[in-house]
Amino acid sequence: MYNLIMKDVKLGVPFIFFLFPVLMGALMLIPGWIYFIVLLYFCWITVPNLFNQFKAQNDLMFTSMMPVTKRNMVKARVLVIVGLELLHILIAAIFGVFTMLLYPNLTYLFFPPNIGFWGLGMMMFAIFNIIFIPIFYKTAYKFGWALFFSVMAAMLFAGIAQWVGIQHPVVNDIFYGTGAEQVALQAIILVTGIVIFAAFSIIAYRLAFRRFLRVEV
Amino acid sequence: MLALDVRNVSKSFPNFQLRNVSFQLEQGYIMGFIGANGAGKTTTIKSILNMTRLDSGEVHILGKSMAAHEIELKQEIGYAMGGVDFYTRSKMKTLTDVVKRFYANWDDKTYRNYMRAFKLDENKKIAELSTGMKVKYNLAIALSHGAKLLILDEPTSGLDPVARDELLDIFQGLVADGEISILFSTHITSDLEKCADFITFIANGQIIRSGEKEEFKESYLLLNGAENQLNQVKDRLISYKINSFGFTGLIQADDFDPSCGIKAATPSLEEIMVYFAKKEDQYV
Repeated sequence: MYNLIMKDVKLGVPFIFFLFPVLMGALMLIPGWIYFIVLLYFCWITVPNLFNQFKAQNDLMFTSMMPVTKRNMVKARVLVIVGLELLHILIAAIFGVFTMLLYPNLTYLFFPPNIGFWGLGMMMFAIFNIIFIPIFYKTAYKFGWALFFSVMAAMLFAGIAQWVGIQHPVVNDIFYGTGAEQVALQAIILVTGIVIFAAFSIIAYRLAFRRFLRVEV
Repeated sequence: MLALDVRNVSKSFPNFQLRNVSFQLEQGYIMGFIGANGAGKTTTIKSILNMTRLDSGEVHILGKSMAAHEIELKQEIGYAMGGVDFYTRSKMKTLTDVVKRFYANWDDKTYRNYMRAFKLDENKKIAELSTGMKVKYNLAIALSHGAKLLILDEPTSGLDPVARDELLDIFQGLVADGEISILFSTHITSDLEKCADFITFIANGQIIRSGEKEEFKESYLLLNGAENQLNQVKDRLISYKINSFGFTGLIQADDFDPSCGIKAATPSLEEIMVYFAKKEDQYV
C-alpha cells in the first residue's frame, strides 16, 4: 500500500502538481473573489493532467505486473487524490487566513474564506470524488466523461451553495456573520463537510474497487 | 517440476476467442510461444498473469494456483514486454527505486551486477534506451528480484540481428543451471530455432501443438511435387501453394505416405506457421 502511494508520488504525479496547491492557494489573496474557483482549479487542471499522465505512461499495465492486489491499487490511487485535495484545501485555508487579516473591512459578496466556507469546499470535493472515481474505474484509463460529470456536479454544488448564501437571509447570516453563534455554526458545517468528504471518498473507493475487478487490463 | 501449467484456459471477447488453451513448461527450459499477429499470444500471457478474467480454466505456476496465490507468485515472475514502455521520461534509477520496494527478495548486488554486465547506465532515461537495452533492463529487474519464471512477450521484436543474437545467448545462459524457466512469445521463429527447447504453437486462439522443438518440426512434412501429384494428397494437406514448378504444401507427418513419390522435407517453424495461417485464410 505504502509502496503504491510512493510509486505515484515518485513516478506518477509530476512534481509540479505538489507545487500547484501553493500557486492556486495564493489566488485566495484576491479580495472578495469566488473562492470556490481556487479549489475547482484542482478539478480543472490537476486531475486531467494527472490521469492523462497515468494513461500515457501505461501506469495500469505497469502496476498490474507487480505483486499488488487490485484492492490496494484502487485504495492507493484514491488516497493520492484525497491527499492532493487535502493539500489544496489546507494551503488555500492558510492563504485565506492572510486574506482575512489583509482586508479586515472588506464587504464580501461571495463567501468569505471562513471555516464554514471550507466545510462547503470539503463537500464540493466529496461530490467530485464520488462521481469521478467510480466512473473512472469502469475502464481504469478513460477519464473524459468521469471528469465531465464530476466537474459539472462540483460546479453546480458551488453555484447553488453560493446562490443560496446570497439569497437566503438565514444562510447568509451563518456564512457571512462573524459573531460567536455564527462561528459555532460554521464550525459545525466544517465538521459536517469533513465527515461527508470522508464518507463519500470511502464509498467512491468501494464502488471503484468493485468496478475495477471487472476491468481487463 | 512444472514452471508453468496452463490448463484449458478459455476466454471470449467480442471478436476473438481463446479456446481450451493448455500447455506445460518444465522448469529450467525455454519455451517458444509462436503464432501470427492476433493469434492469441498476448491474450494467453495476460491470462497467465491474471490480467484478464478467465471464462474457464486454470493456471498453475511453480506448482501453485495463480488464482489463489497471485501476489506470492508475482514475486517469482519476471515479465518483459517488447514495444510497451512505462514512465519513459524517468531515469532507470528512479524506476528501479520504485519497483524494488515491491519485491521481498530484491538483491541490490545482483541488480548492480546485471546492470554492469548489460552495460546499462542507471542515470539514463528509459526513452534514451534502445529496444534491446529496454529488454535487458527488464531482465535485470526480473533477475534481481529472484524471478524463477520469465515471461517475455515479443522481447526480440524490433531488434537488429546482433542484439537479438546477444539476447538469445543471455536467455540460454539464464536457464543453464536449471532453476529459471522462460516462456518466450514471438513471431520471429528464427530466434526459436536457435534457443528454444519446446515450442507451443497457437493459431486463431487455439493451441495447434505443444512439444519438444525437433519433435514438433518433425511432426509435419513440407511436400514439394508436380502439379499433377497434388490430387493424391490435396485433401490431407493443411494448406498448399501452387507455383510454376508445381506445388508445396504442409502435411501432418502421420498423414503422409512416403511411397507416393512426392519429395518431403522437415519444415522450419516459419513454414509451419505460414501454412497454418494460409489454412485459416481458406476458411475466411
